[in-house]
Amino acid sequence: MGRPEPRVDGRLKVTGNARYASDFPVANPAHACLVTSAIAKGRIVSFDLDDARAVPGVLDILTHETVGNEVHEPKFFGSGGTASTIHRPLSSAQISHAGQIVAIVVADTYEAAREAAYRVRVTYEEEDAATTLDSDGVETLPATKVRKEHKNPRVGDAAAALRAAPVTIDAVYETPTQHHNAIELYATTCVWSGEQLTVYEPSQFVHALKHAMAEQLGIDAEDVRVISPYVGGAFGSKAAVTPRTALVAIAARRLNRPVKLVATRAQGFTIATYRAETRHRVRLGAQRDGKLTAYVHEGWEATSRLDDYLVGGTETTAHIYDVPNVSTRVNVVRTDRATPGFMRSPPEVPYVFALETALDELAEALDMDPIELRRINDTRNDPITGAPYTSRSLMACYDEASRAFGWRRRNLPPGSMRDGDWLVGWGCATAVYPTFMGAATARVRLARNGATRVEIAAHDLGTGAYTAIAQTAAERLGLPVAAVEVLLGDSALPAAPVAGGSNTTASCCNVVAKACDGIRRRLVRAAMRADRGPLRGRKPSSVNFVDRHIAGEDGAKVSLADAFDMLGAPMIEEYAHWLPHGMEPDALKKLHLGSAALTGGAMEDRIAAAFGAELVELRVNVYTGELRVPRIVGAFAAGRIVNPRTAHSQYVGGMIWGIASALHEQTELDRRVARYVNTDLAEYLIPVNADVPDVQAILVSEEDRLVNPLGIKGLGELANVGTAAALGNALYHATGRRIRKLPLRIEDVL
Amino acid sequence: MGEMMSKVKVSTTINGDPVEYLCDAEETLLDVLRDHLGLTGAKEGCGTGDCGACSVVVDGRVVCSCLVLGAEAEGRKVTTVEGLATGDRLHPLQQKFLEFAALQCGVCTPGFLVAAKALLDRNPDPTETEIRFGLAGNLCRCTGYDKIVRAVQAAAAEMRKG
Amino acid sequence: MRPFLYERATSECAAVQLAASGAPAQFLAGGTTLIDLMKLDVLRPARLIDINGLAAGAAGLIEEREGALRLGALVDMAQAAEHPVVRRKFPVLADALRQAASQQVRNMASLGGNLLQRTRCPYYRDRSWPACNRRKPGSGCGALHGQNRGHAVLGVSDACIATYPGDLAVALVALDAVLEIIGADGARTMGAAELHRLPADTPHVETNLAPGQLIAAIRVPAGPWTRRSLYLKVRDRESYQFALASAAVALDLSDGMVRHARVGLGGVATIPWRATAAEDQLVGRRLDGELARATAEAAFAAARPARHNAFKLGLGKRTLERALLQAAQMEL
Repeated sequence: MGRPEPRVDGRLKVTGNARYASDFPVANPAHACLVTSAIAKGRIVSFDLDDARAVPGVLDILTHETVGNEVHEPKFFGSGGTASTIHRPLSSAQISHAGQIVAIVVADTYEAAREAAYRVRVTYEEEDAATTLDSDGVETLPATKVRKEHKNPRVGDAAAALRAAPVTIDAVYETPTQHHNAIELYATTCVWSGEQLTVYEPSQFVHALKHAMAEQLGIDAEDVRVISPYVGGAFGSKAAVTPRTALVAIAARRLNRPVKLVATRAQGFTIATYRAETRHRVRLGAQRDGKLTAYVHEGWEATSRLDDYLVGGTETTAHIYDVPNVSTRVNVVRTDRATPGFMRSPPEVPYVFALETALDELAEALDMDPIELRRINDTRNDPITGAPYTSRSLMACYDEASRAFGWRRRNLPPGSMRDGDWLVGWGCATAVYPTFMGAATARVRLARNGATRVEIAAHDLGTGAYTAIAQTAAERLGLPVAAVEVLLGDSALPAAPVAGGSNTTASCCNVVAKACDGIRRRLVRAAMRADRGPLRGRKPSSVNFVDRHIAGEDGAKVSLADAFDMLGAPMIEEYAHWLPHGMEPDALKKLHLGSAALTGGAMEDRIAAAFGAELVELRVNVYTGELRVPRIVGAFAAGRIVNPRTAHSQYVGGMIWGIASALHEQTELDRRVARYVNTDLAEYLIPVNADVPDVQAILVSEEDRLVNPLGIKGLGELANVGTAAALGNALYHATGRRIRKLPLRIEDVL
Repeated sequence: MGEMMSKVKVSTTINGDPVEYLCDAEETLLDVLRDHLGLTGAKEGCGTGDCGACSVVVDGRVVCSCLVLGAEAEGRKVTTVEGLATGDRLHPLQQKFLEFAALQCGVCTPGFLVAAKALLDRNPDPTETEIRFGLAGNLCRCTGYDKIVRAVQAAAAEMRKG
Repeated sequence: MRPFLYERATSECAAVQLAASGAPAQFLAGGTTLIDLMKLDVLRPARLIDINGLAAGAAGLIEEREGALRLGALVDMAQAAEHPVVRRKFPVLADALRQAASQQVRNMASLGGNLLQRTRCPYYRDRSWPACNRRKPGSGCGALHGQNRGHAVLGVSDACIATYPGDLAVALVALDAVLEIIGADGARTMGAAELHRLPADTPHVETNLAPGQLIAAIRVPAGPWTRRSLYLKVRDRESYQFALASAAVALDLSDGMVRHARVGLGGVATIPWRATAAEDQLVGRRLDGELARATAEAAFAAARPARHNAFKLGLGKRTLERALLQAAQMEL
């Protein structure tokens, strides 16, 4: 642990041999193609399927007329379930969002299915749809009303403090609709064998998908297996269970033949989730010396009519600076759109953008360096509860990042730095991500020859989970990483939490370490009891597992093989479960039922979060308004780093996500009809290689003895937080123009 | 109509081996590789030529196999990611992608590798800018762009040594 | 994709003969537009005639004849972009090609096919949008009052504001290129500027090519302006994006005075746009910042913005202004 091991799954990936969901060969599959709704609201009056059925090779066409209530109503994850929505396409003629599934064509070949799908004619009765936050017909409700357990963090008397503050900021910020657009398309293959269903689908939570299928299809959970060893990017989109899976299973059951669906890129914009647009009003009050006295943040978030998806980002922002008076409020705005969902750092990306931009405005008003402003308001305790941070290295991150960046050379006045045709701006912002953990289980088997197998239904989304888990077991058992085989992404394995909230490394490494410790205890006990053994009579705490041996402090050692012989067994298998601090014991039972419960962040007695500092240079072409990012430096501290190489990749990738979020990504809506317009990768822009010349990630060391036994904090969703604010702040520094709405675009600066 | 339904017979070379297949006229080369020939290294990321995940090399030039018909492979030489390694010996690009951590989820990786191979075959000593623009047609969402560039540079240096 | 008959042609003559008989046919070259739009069910040809085999002949060659450039229509974009004569003597063409699309697409797309690239208007490309006069005559224009950030401000009509997305054609119309066209009834030539039709009331009729006619080659005359030429392309992303605004500029200068000027605009118009009003401004004057500005104003005098693309007026003007001044400074 702590070494930059190369990815253990790397060889399979560079040779094209890693099997993603749609790569699994199944015998004689039929191919499905979706037909999706052209309207956002209304009902289906009729289908004309004659042309479609006439296409040679067409086997079946599923519509609400033939499926109806065959799928049982899913339970929304926001209400304790696992589904992305309670919406059941093909259950009725009702249309609740544009692009919802209205029919599924199944044929012998993909080409026939696609052609027939184009030949399906649907007649709709269309109603006016409410598109977005300020559209006619939306319903705006306080979060406390739609989610009983939601609490708006508050402390002190923010209104009075604002009135009394000599310096105040009051501004409105907006973030756009965005889609995950993992390069892997949404794919599902369902194979029935008698009563038993096997699902090949990229998943961030195989146990949830398994139980959801059982519930939605009315079958026994033990008859469902979900296989997802490699996931081609997810970013939150493959966490909650989406409606397509049960429908593909039904299609396969009707035909008694495997059915394979690979949805198109455009369909991916509407059959799964997305990051909804948000609006924020932020008010800050401060003394002239920069000390914050008041923070008031009200947020509005778009959701659907059916489900109240809530990100509630003030749960993060209210806790990160030393402000005595805080008042926050979050509202959901129900629109005629699909239900949004998790997208990489769901609460932090929009809410931290608002807060960190407001702080930059405050620094400007105070004529103060923006990093200095953050230093003045740094804290060791949660300002809301007073509870201590388990560890916190925000200012150390700023120090290291500003050294590497050369921040000292920054001219304070906006518009004062220029290089040829380019105005140059430097901006900074804080990155923060609460540390989450979940109950987890694992099985570890060690053979006499050192061959180790770790079984845990965790998920590697490209994050490096295979490698981190292998390193953990290797270290605990004194073996090379190559001796450890790790099995993930299969619901037949011991349950692990959702790959969400960046909890995987913390939760899974801790439980795997615990299982390894069980193995160690048995071997150590055998070695200590063995007649004439070199370790006979030692205290268990005095030995360690190193280099295929159990070693005492004085150099006495027993090889693993000998220890096994002393034990009289050829192998040991240990099963372990782990409950993080603050989690109810019934969390394990819930985990086995596919519950996504996590704990962490601001708890009653402590607060746990990873922090970072991001410094960027943005250039604005004085003639054309083109915006370019020649360099970005981020420094991050996230407790113990299991693998610096994969952690570094996560940070670099996160910052590039941040650049994308600030400068490129926006799903454009046709407001007349609540439909997305730019639904392909030519028009939905994500950065290309040429957009990101110099990205530097610094790993700041941090020790945390409290957060969990191994001291690990999640970091996958850390580095893309704050980037957008840093870039907006840099744009202001370059031009003197404050843009409070993302993405920042040419038209904003011309 | 009968004629329109007929299959197209194609003789081609894939990863050095002569291959014959029958495909429907509507099938893309990507479909043929993945569904008929079991070569699932090339991935479908968009189907519209926007992401590069389906990149393969045809007659020495990298193309999007999602926009090439299977029928168009007649008489050509096709290289996919499966054809890069020699037996157990990885191609220098594959080796450097591993060493430089130039992959994460891995779904764009095969496309990047074949695009980088085509790039280096034509230009053994590319500048960083040439790499960045040359690989701009391969989207990585995770995103490992910077490490990918380093890996390609390192592989190029090694390949120049021979 | 609807089923179609796939045929191969190995000569220009065979290709046009095949196209002249039987069910309506389309020629398949690079396929980057055609296969894409067939998969989206926007184009539904009954027959495809694969003409990639023609690249083995003159259609696959780049030749310089008496100073003029002849680009075979089956030359792919990457080949042309890298060709030494194109780069040295016609830099505006090399610039336009190099900045277009991605390496993969440039390797696939033929020059002839590239000229015929269809619009990226999402209301056109996604057949589930009910209104698109270009795709379904008489159905209306979804973009006119919809999302139209990427749409055109020049050459628009109430029936269509879709942007012509290509780069090469913008440079070609500026340089007075000529297309060699062949059909079953023989060969003819056509000015590159005559290829595309303004949408007017019939946006679905995109070009002046008759069915079955094939672009065989592109001839680009050399002039004293072709060496001092460049293509400036502005977009959100550094690479691999269609132009928000672009300018193709070719100048013949003498002591800072403009003797000849050629100006094309891209990303802002429904067709590859020849800005003759801009050229008229330039000729006979000294090219300085003020003239560049006045020229840009003249180029966009007739522009008609919609809701989200009004910035293209300012951006288009600045792009042209910048391109003119950069061209004036080129070291020859």
